[in-house]
Amino acid sequence: MSGPAPRNPDFAARFAKFHADMYDGLSPVTQRVSVAVVGPELELTNTETRTTQVWRLDALRNLPDQAASDTLMLARSDDHPARLIIREAATAREILRAIPDLRPLRGSRGGWFRVGVMGLAAVGALAGILFGLVPVMADRGAMYVPPASEVALGQIVYDEIFAARGAVTCTATAGTVALDQMESRLMAGVSLPYPLTVRVVQDPLVNAFALPGGHIVIHSALIDAAETPEEVAAVLAHEIGHVAHRDGTRAVLRSVGSFGLIGLTMGDVFGGSVIAGLTRAALDSSYSRAAEEAADAYAITMLRNVGVSPGALATFFERMQASGQSMELGVFQHLSSHPDTLQRITAARAADIGQGRPILDAASWAALQGICADTTTAGDPQFAPNSTVAGAANK
Amino acid sequence: MSILKTDFGGDRGELFQLALKTGLLTVLTVGLYRFWQTTRLRRWYWSSIRIGSNPLEYTGTAQEKLTGFLLAVIVLAFYLMLFNGAAMYFVIGLSEGAPDYLNLAMATTPLALVPIIFMARYRARRYILSRTRWRGIRMGMSGGAWGYAWRACMYWVLTILSVGLLWPLMTFQLEKYLTDRTWFGDAPFMQFGSAAMLSGAILPFLLMLWASIGLPVAAVMTGQNLYYMGLILTIPLTAVTAVSYRVGSVRIMASMKTLGDGMEFDIAPGTGRLIRIHIFGRILTSLVIAFVSPVVLGIVLGLIYLSGSYDPSMLLAPPPMIAAIIAVATWLTVFVLYGICQQVFIVFPIVKHIGETFELHEPTLLQTVRQRARADGRDAGGFADALDVGAAF
Repeated sequence: MSGPAPRNPDFAARFAKFHADMYDGLSPVTQRVSVAVVGPELELTNTETRTTQVWRLDALRNLPDQAASDTLMLARSDDHPARLIIREAATAREILRAIPDLRPLRGSRGGWFRVGVMGLAAVGALAGILFGLVPVMADRGAMYVPPASEVALGQIVYDEIFAARGAVTCTATAGTVALDQMESRLMAGVSLPYPLTVRVVQDPLVNAFALPGGHIVIHSALIDAAETPEEVAAVLAHEIGHVAHRDGTRAVLRSVGSFGLIGLTMGDVFGGSVIAGLTRAALDSSYSRAAEEAADAYAITMLRNVGVSPGALATFFERMQASGQSMELGVFQHLSSHPDTLQRITAARAADIGQGRPILDAASWAALQGICADTTTAGDPQFAPNSTVAGAANK
Repeated sequence: MSILKTDFGGDRGELFQLALKTGLLTVLTVGLYRFWQTTRLRRWYWSSIRIGSNPLEYTGTAQEKLTGFLLAVIVLAFYLMLFNGAAMYFVIGLSEGAPDYLNLAMATTPLALVPIIFMARYRARRYILSRTRWRGIRMGMSGGAWGYAWRACMYWVLTILSVGLLWPLMTFQLEKYLTDRTWFGDAPFMQFGSAAMLSGAILPFLLMLWASIGLPVAAVMTGQNLYYMGLILTIPLTAVTAVSYRVGSVRIMASMKTLGDGMEFDIAPGTGRLIRIHIFGRILTSLVIAFVSPVVLGIVLGLIYLSGSYDPSMLLAPPPMIAAIIAVATWLTVFVLYGICQQVFIVFPIVKHIGETFELHEPTLLQTVRQRARADGRDAGGFADALDVGAAF
């Protein structure tokens, strides 16, 4: 852009009453230049060497977001590092008169395509890992965990979720005997890698959980809400399904496997945490939908084998759905809002075998309903902070 | 001998407007605008620092920051997946004996990120320098992020093993590593001196640190709870002396740096001044949040009232929708106000104070400097953004 000499030196010199500092982008030495607007161009003449550069007016840009309002910083749109610094108000006025629509300098265009491609790649990589690889790794990994450690793990999870918060366990003798009776009837001919530990915990929410290593927790409200012992047995069979599929252990391994991944998108306090929360919710729901259906299928087979009608599962689900119970947790997850709810009910209904053999006699059923006549407070009621073993329960 | 002094040309009101505008846009775009926010604030701060009346220029763009962030997310996702996979099998392998393996594995997973954090800091610094110009000349930094990461890890281990005695060695060697890879145009920066010159500056900090560790130990050993009382004094003093060491070490090391053929520097921020800025900044932030948020909330409540959806029974049992609107409005207000106050009351005065103490000696030697080639900052500090270990702006 720099020409050897102005085309008409005398003419240029006459108008050279405006000055600025120029940096040529090659050396940090300040060049004092006279500034003249000549047609569509700006002529910059070094006051010492008399060499002249010509900048096109329509290629001039000002630097955006500048703190100092007493200086006008000009650059060229061709990405050249040369800069013109105008401190004199008269010079600034002269230039702004010649370029009334002076625009701010922008980064190179065409970057949006790259941003889009990278955005898709990032979303794809995260989704692939979280929804594809991590569950597969957890499923495979769960096979290698020795049963004894699963039992110990389940105890830790139970302690953190229930015992540490002062949960009250129902332990009336007759009720416990009835529960054992129901359990051994269901388990006839079934072998699991570890013994079942079924506990009834006092809680007003209708729910049941399977933790790793055969630990099953039934809320007392679930027994109160059931109209027949078969309904309780159906839910218990469903939980035994989770135990047989090692869903609790897989959930723990998944949470180890997805550590830190969701947090990557966070970055700041606000927007990221919303996205992270939504991802977490989508993740849990996609993991558990398949697990719930598999546990239903397991329960249906188990109930059939012992001569109890799997229709009890459907009856109970339907009653819960009709009562508008909060069903976002545990065994009832997806029951209220998901389209596959009906499918689950229909599947259980289809497996109905009519009047089966009662699972408990009237006296035992009454005893089970009264299991909370005696209680023990599990562990010390020390209120532990939220445990880090998220995802272990809830199944 | 001539000296170029630095002045700060920024106006707090202007910064307030910029912080407010970009803060609101960040909230409205669910955080996406934060790359533009950071870029615009950097441009503003850079241009306000005028060395010998010539402002710095920040030439980074938000698009390259966003692209870099996405790249970092992809790389980190795969890294974390590999590491988590290893952790998973470690969990399974260890599970034979100890029942507490779960907690152990949970506790060790974050360690995977420690070297990455050092790497991210180096790369973020490299990117920022490559996008910094003064008098039209680019600054720059040579590669070496992994060399920095393993050195940083090693020096931290040495510092902990030596109960802090080798802290000055860490400070000096890491600073030297960074300085010796920094350029202005084709002129290299160089760090001279040795760790020994920091020993005086660190002594008060080490004494306070040892006291803060020693007092509880003494209390446990002797059973005398009176020892704990000493912590009331030593903990704040540890914090003060830590700032003082940081400031002192920066000053001492700056005076032992050279640029090119013999340009030198001076930077002399005051410890007391920086601590006062932090304390007053936090007090002002709390006051602003305490007085402005109720006003904003009042407006929100007023709008709800005017929209005709108000009914006296709502006071006792607010409908979930209204409660959600109020909760989100509160959170957003506090979030935006906090960001603005952070800039206006803390970052602004700190940058101004530190900037104003900066001096460049022998500026005539600048004429020996020539431009350097443009560097493409591929990840544009994205690792630091993804791990949230970036700077305040």
